[in-house]
Amino acid sequence: MELQLKELRDRCLADLNAVDELKTLDNVRIKYLGKKGELTIALKGMGKLSNEERPIIGKLANEIREEIENNISAQKQALERKEIEAQIKEESIDVSLPGKKHQAGNLHPLTTTVNELKEIFLGMGFSIAEGPEIEWAKYNFDYLNVPQEHSARDLQDTFYCEDDIVLRTQTSPVQVRVMQKQKPPLRIISPGRVYRFDEIDATHSPVFHQMEGLVIDKGITMSDLKGTLDLFAKKLFGEQTKTKFRPHQFYFTEPSAEMDVTCFKCGGVGCKVCSNTGWIEVLGCGMVHPNVLRFCSIDPDEYSGFAFGMGLDRITMIKYGINDLRLLFENDLRFLTQFK
Amino acid sequence: MLVSLNWLKEYVDIKIPPFDFGEALTMSGTKVETLTVVSENVVNIFTGKITKIEPHPNADKLVVCTVDMGTDERVIVTAAKNVFEGAIVPVAVDGAVIANGTKIGTNDFRGLLSYGMFCSIEELGMNSDLFAKEIMEGILILPENTPLGMDARELLWLNDVIIDVELTANRSDCQSIIGIARESAATLDLPMADYKTYTAIENTDEIADYLSVKIENSACPRYVAKMLKVKKIEPSPLWMQVKLINSGVRPINNIVDVTNYVMLELGQPLHAFDYHSLQSKEIVVNTTTDKKIITLDNKERDIDETMLMITNGKAPVAIAGVMGGENSEITDNTTLIVLESACFNKGSVRLTAKHLGLRTEASSRFEKGVDPELAGIAALRATQLFLEIGACEVIEGLIDVYPKVETLKKVTLDINWFNAFVGITLTIDEISNMLSRLFFKVAKISEAVLEVEVPSYRGDIELKEDLAEEVARIFGYDNIPGTIMGGETMIGGKTPVQKFEDRLKNLLVGQGYYETLTTSFTSEKRLHGLNTELEDNLIALINPLGEENSIMRNTLIGHQLEVISLNYNRKNPFGRFFELSNTYHKNPNSGELPLEEMMLVISAYGSDDYFELKGMVELLLDQAGIKYPEFIAGGSEMLHPGRKAEIFVEGTKLGEIGEIHPLVVKNYELPKRCYVCQISFKALYGCASIDNKFVDLPKFPASNRDLAILLKQDIPAASIETIIRKNSGDILESIELFDVYTGAQIPEGYKSLAYALNFRHHQRTLNDNDINPVIDQILSELKITFDAQLRE
Repeated sequence: MELQLKELRDRCLADLNAVDELKTLDNVRIKYLGKKGELTIALKGMGKLSNEERPIIGKLANEIREEIENNISAQKQALERKEIEAQIKEESIDVSLPGKKHQAGNLHPLTTTVNELKEIFLGMGFSIAEGPEIEWAKYNFDYLNVPQEHSARDLQDTFYCEDDIVLRTQTSPVQVRVMQKQKPPLRIISPGRVYRFDEIDATHSPVFHQMEGLVIDKGITMSDLKGTLDLFAKKLFGEQTKTKFRPHQFYFTEPSAEMDVTCFKCGGVGCKVCSNTGWIEVLGCGMVHPNVLRFCSIDPDEYSGFAFGMGLDRITMIKYGINDLRLLFENDLRFLTQFK
Repeated sequence: MLVSLNWLKEYVDIKIPPFDFGEALTMSGTKVETLTVVSENVVNIFTGKITKIEPHPNADKLVVCTVDMGTDERVIVTAAKNVFEGAIVPVAVDGAVIANGTKIGTNDFRGLLSYGMFCSIEELGMNSDLFAKEIMEGILILPENTPLGMDARELLWLNDVIIDVELTANRSDCQSIIGIARESAATLDLPMADYKTYTAIENTDEIADYLSVKIENSACPRYVAKMLKVKKIEPSPLWMQVKLINSGVRPINNIVDVTNYVMLELGQPLHAFDYHSLQSKEIVVNTTTDKKIITLDNKERDIDETMLMITNGKAPVAIAGVMGGENSEITDNTTLIVLESACFNKGSVRLTAKHLGLRTEASSRFEKGVDPELAGIAALRATQLFLEIGACEVIEGLIDVYPKVETLKKVTLDINWFNAFVGITLTIDEISNMLSRLFFKVAKISEAVLEVEVPSYRGDIELKEDLAEEVARIFGYDNIPGTIMGGETMIGGKTPVQKFEDRLKNLLVGQGYYETLTTSFTSEKRLHGLNTELEDNLIALINPLGEENSIMRNTLIGHQLEVISLNYNRKNPFGRFFELSNTYHKNPNSGELPLEEMMLVISAYGSDDYFELKGMVELLLDQAGIKYPEFIAGGSEMLHPGRKAEIFVEGTKLGEIGEIHPLVVKNYELPKRCYVCQISFKALYGCASIDNKFVDLPKFPASNRDLAILLKQDIPAASIETIIRKNSGDILESIELFDVYTGAQIPEGYKSLAYALNFRHHQRTLNDNDINPVIDQILSELKITFDAQLRE
């Protein structure tokens, strides 16, 4: 019996070794371990054994069964691996071939710039205000303290639809509208489209874009203006950016200033971008003129505030190094696709 | 404005380098644009007198000059034609460098050595724009009394630095050497020198025998006249000419030069009339009904009754504040002059200059505003100069018509308010000192309050805020600290509409569309190209920049087509674009502003077709939470009649979509097939429902049914879908048209539409008993409505 079992085991292991496909592996298992398998049948003959022999042979039979099962399992794993290897070998591709084309568009670079500016000011608690592009002359001029006889009102400077209706020349009328409608404290920015009577060339366009900001509250100081705009400049052009405030004049602010930033290209040493000055003029600003506050029924003795305004087209051009304003309005795809 | 630093230094002892001075001026409010040395390169050019001219033995075109250089004598060979014995000229000696950088040495000219070279204006590096061609071409001949051996750099102010300053509109008082000197003195905290005026005590009023002046118009607040006898009309002295040249003004003669000199120095435009040519004993300032005047530049000007004139009581002799008349011009024969030093209102001069298209140094100064007080001072300064240079003798007496003398303004400044407003802490004495530096008269009226008397020329100072700027700029904006705003915390942020705009743009960008930026203008011609009747609510501009920009656009489609056309013609093979922007329409309610309607336009050409664009629009509507948009055949004339649809959501029209009409394709030079969709942003936002709420995931399986419907070709697929939806009720989860078929096995004029229907109930599994009656109902209504049937 013992010999018979050992012979059976050897045969089985030889059979297993000969298997080279997963699907025939099971045949071996059935042949030896199945209900009618050789080992099963052999074990059925155990009844005929003597009481001394039975536990010894029983133990041997169990060992052989375990050995066969282990071998089947090992062979299965080996065959599976082989199969996967074969599959992998067959399925190899040239990974350097180009990918399938997906299309993404882009926002216009001006929009990207505006979005960046908005983010900065939204983070400081500002809201975005909007107003009409076609505006009453009084909102565009009178309420902003522009003198009656000022040349900005001329037909050579401002587009008129009617005698008292203009295409706004600045987004400042939005400030007036907000101040007339809402009570302070106010923190708004108003990006938008504005118009001036300029023939289009590399740096001028009759249609361009501005963003103005306005802060009104009790106790707002000129040093708040400086602090806020300095922070803005650092966020837009980088932490290392320095600002310079030069006295200037605007009708709707007093005192007024222009802000320069150190050239982001050369860091202030002087280069082509900054015309070798090391500085780039970025915006105009100032403390809101008391007349403007009064026009909007805000008491200048109680409240103060500052306002600022910047040309978005210009900032876009500076930021991306675009050398001709006309490119912004032309929409050539070879231009538009450059701004991810 | 050009400012000579040398001239400025006569008033303020500026010791710091020019660059630093420019920076300091800029930071105190006078923006310095550029600093330019008149002639950087020039060295070793000295004055010399030609004592003898002899022909060159070996050359016809050359002459040999003996030149007295003051300390020595040298020989110069020249080809110049305008030299003569006795002429004093600039001589570039050995080792000299002329303006263009060329080094001058001793050269052999056909066997004779020339120890240097005579110089022209250009070789000296002087402002060549100011001189006539014949003067430019010759050697510069200096006045007879010029000392010999003088360095030309100093004599001709070639070492001068020309400062180009940009003045703000409120600082008309800075349009002069004196004005900039005042700012310089205040900025650098230096004293300022005075200038000499004619102060002789006059015993008679001789001028009254010659002239009287009447102001008959309020646009002239003051008119001062002084009369002088001319000794000789000749060139003005070199020092005066040099200052004019470095200020960008051309020297003419001693009379005109003095008027220009005083204008540059003090900022008061002056005019000199030839007394005898006036042919009258009176000057009247008023508008006239005359139609023409010939001005000093020999041009006939059309004038009208809005323009202020200087007349002799009968006819105009000058356009007030703009330019004198030819009829009273100074000539070589002038013996008596009337010097006008007057003030004219800025509005009046601005309009006159504008209507005439004639801007002069005088008019541009008056336009910005000239202090009436200056008129008297300037007349006396000019008189002083006329005497000093020996050009004239005085006729005693001064005419000064000055109807309303303004009193000086006083503004009080509370220093506590000032410090709180600016965010700094200055003492009352510091503030007082800074204002004094700016020539304000300051008096302390209490511990914390100053009373500030404003000089007449500072018309821009009216309020305490104006004074705050004055103190702040002298203190230095850069010295004000930067602080973070206090006050109430503000949340800020975007409104839902603004967020929705961002979502739309991001979605389109994600789908491969490029945002465009186009102008707001269009024209009748451009709109006609769109094959549509002009709407009557167009907004025309009163003063457009050309016909093609004469109307505010009422559609974005035209501009999108222009974008496509540009890209197509530049050989970009395909393109997808969008823009979210305003269109403009007349307001039906009078007395209200025009309407601005934001539209979303999407367009494509090259690789896309109608359904590609429609798919984009459907995705966009889906993302806006719009469930069942309807695309109904129709739309405007600019679209292809067989390929256009209007988009509706629950009865509200959002816009239209379609292929561009072949006629428009031709008009706009477009590729054969372009697609465009324009949607009202307001309507879209109105229909949007972007309330995101979680719905339980389905627990029960769905049942799918495919239906192939056979129907007449002209029935729109959308109406089949409507019937399917209507009859399915809540259990229809989705419907998808997966095949449209015509051809074999389908009768002529018919088509087959194959739909995949997906049914699901949220509480139980659906079986045939639920679905079969629905299918039957669908088929029955399709049969009744469209005679459509199930295709077996």
